[in-house]
Amino acid sequence: MSNHLEIIKEAIIGGKHKDVEELVRSALDDGVSANAIVNEAMIPGMDVVGKKFSNNEIFVPEMLVAAVTMNKGLDILKPILKQSGSKSKGTIVMCTVKGDLHDIGKNLVIMMLEGAGFDVIDVGVDTSVDKLIDAVKQIKPDVLGLSALLTTTLPEMAKVIQSLEANGMRGEVKVMIGGAPVDAAYSEKIGADGYGRDAAQAVEVARRLIV
Amino acid sequence: MKPSGYQLIMSAMFKGEKGERPPAGNPTSIACHDLMDVTGVSFPEAHLNAEAMAELALAGHELIGFDTVMPEYSVDQEVAALGADVDWGDRTMMPDTKSFLYADFSDIVIPDDFLERPSMRVLLDALSILRRHVGGSAAIIGKAMGPWTLSYHMAGTQNFLLQIGLGEIDTVKRMVEQLMPVTIASVNAQFRAGADIVVVADHATGNLISATHYAELLLPYHQELTSQIDGPTILHVCGNCFDRLRHFAEAGFNAYHFEWQVDAKRAVETVGDTMVLVGNVNNAQTLLQGTPEDVHREARYAIEAGVDIIGPECAIPLSTPLENLKAIIAAVQEGY
Repeated sequence: MSNHLEIIKEAIIGGKHKDVEELVRSALDDGVSANAIVNEAMIPGMDVVGKKFSNNEIFVPEMLVAAVTMNKGLDILKPILKQSGSKSKGTIVMCTVKGDLHDIGKNLVIMMLEGAGFDVIDVGVDTSVDKLIDAVKQIKPDVLGLSALLTTTLPEMAKVIQSLEANGMRGEVKVMIGGAPVDAAYSEKIGADGYGRDAAQAVEVARRLIV
Repeated sequence: MKPSGYQLIMSAMFKGEKGERPPAGNPTSIACHDLMDVTGVSFPEAHLNAEAMAELALAGHELIGFDTVMPEYSVDQEVAALGADVDWGDRTMMPDTKSFLYADFSDIVIPDDFLERPSMRVLLDALSILRRHVGGSAAIIGKAMGPWTLSYHMAGTQNFLLQIGLGEIDTVKRMVEQLMPVTIASVNAQFRAGADIVVVADHATGNLISATHYAELLLPYHQELTSQIDGPTILHVCGNCFDRLRHFAEAGFNAYHFEWQVDAKRAVETVGDTMVLVGNVNNAQTLLQGTPEDVHREARYAIEAGVDIIGPECAIPLSTPLENLKAIIAAVQEGY
């Protein structure tokens, strides 16, 4: 069993997208549980991917293909996990803020969060404050994740937090922010609950915020 | 006779004689709301109308004191001319490509009238207007997207980068190769229209791809590109690119415009003898959120490090205060 898990973990890290489905089916056939494959192979695999990305050992292309690999495996496991009533690690709404159409950073964060076992709802790019308030009301996520690439759009992050406060919803959801122009000082300044320097750190922040 | 801003910039571009002060310039956008208010020219007009484009560019020279003028504020002029659907944004929103014409990596068709299409024509006309207004007093900079950035817009950034991860190297090279003529045509047309220098923006940044991939997938094309260009060029690549600075120096561009993530002293030590360096005042933390004193301190650090042309690291945030931009000029006025 541990051999299966180690092989799947290495397949995720190495982006073996052509092999992963066969590896997952083979593990299931040999009696390895879907839960074990996710929690003991895929999540640790994506953790390694995230660390390598943070350390500049791998870059976006390698991270994307690791995520493709993970998703191919997850597609097989999801129906089984659903049947067994497996519990999510938390719900996160992710977006790129108003005025910003860049989605690659947001998408990388989503891939890493999903790889870490969170349910993620992507509400897209150029997301208005009102749309986010509605999303928080309807979905009731544990965390709201805001991404921006442009310095132009930084103030939108503050507007979202202010609007949550104005609507009496600030206590209902944690807010984490990230993106090229964002830093910890800005996060503190606008009253966000967490800042992730990159997609791997975003997972750490989400784990810390959802206890 | 006191040298003009044009002379200071051009001398710096060729590592020539230094004047009494370093030149101040920004090869990427200087457009901000304060300048829009003063000139009465806003977005999206300044992307779509040659007179408006030129007027906003002039304000950076005449009102702030930069030694350069650069009239392109988007990264979309070429892709619009190639047929992509571009949202030109508004006063607070930069333009962006809405559709990716070649997401399937099929053969790229470059229209015969590419340079005459509105988004290119407006840029070329704006450069000619600037030539008539400030030729000889400020250096006129054109801007073209390199084949790597054009590929992002043609295929979608994520889709394009995924091909590298999937090992589809021939697919990636093929797209870059097919887009080379677009960059070469754009750059040379901008020289003919009146540009003294053209910046080539090609975002093979350390935030996206490795230095090894730059060397393998793009450096040979950059070398080919620079061999077919008719005037002095500046390479602009955002983000932390310290690990590929030496590759940039081999690519054949005269200069590199760099961001704050690369320390100015280390940049000068690494490639300062072979390449002109332009930059690198931090946009988000210093120009946008800092004080004039913060900006002055960073600009002086760059001057003392030996950076040849001093300016913001990249297209400035639209809400950058004018006082902070003027602090760059104050720093260069103090001389070396």
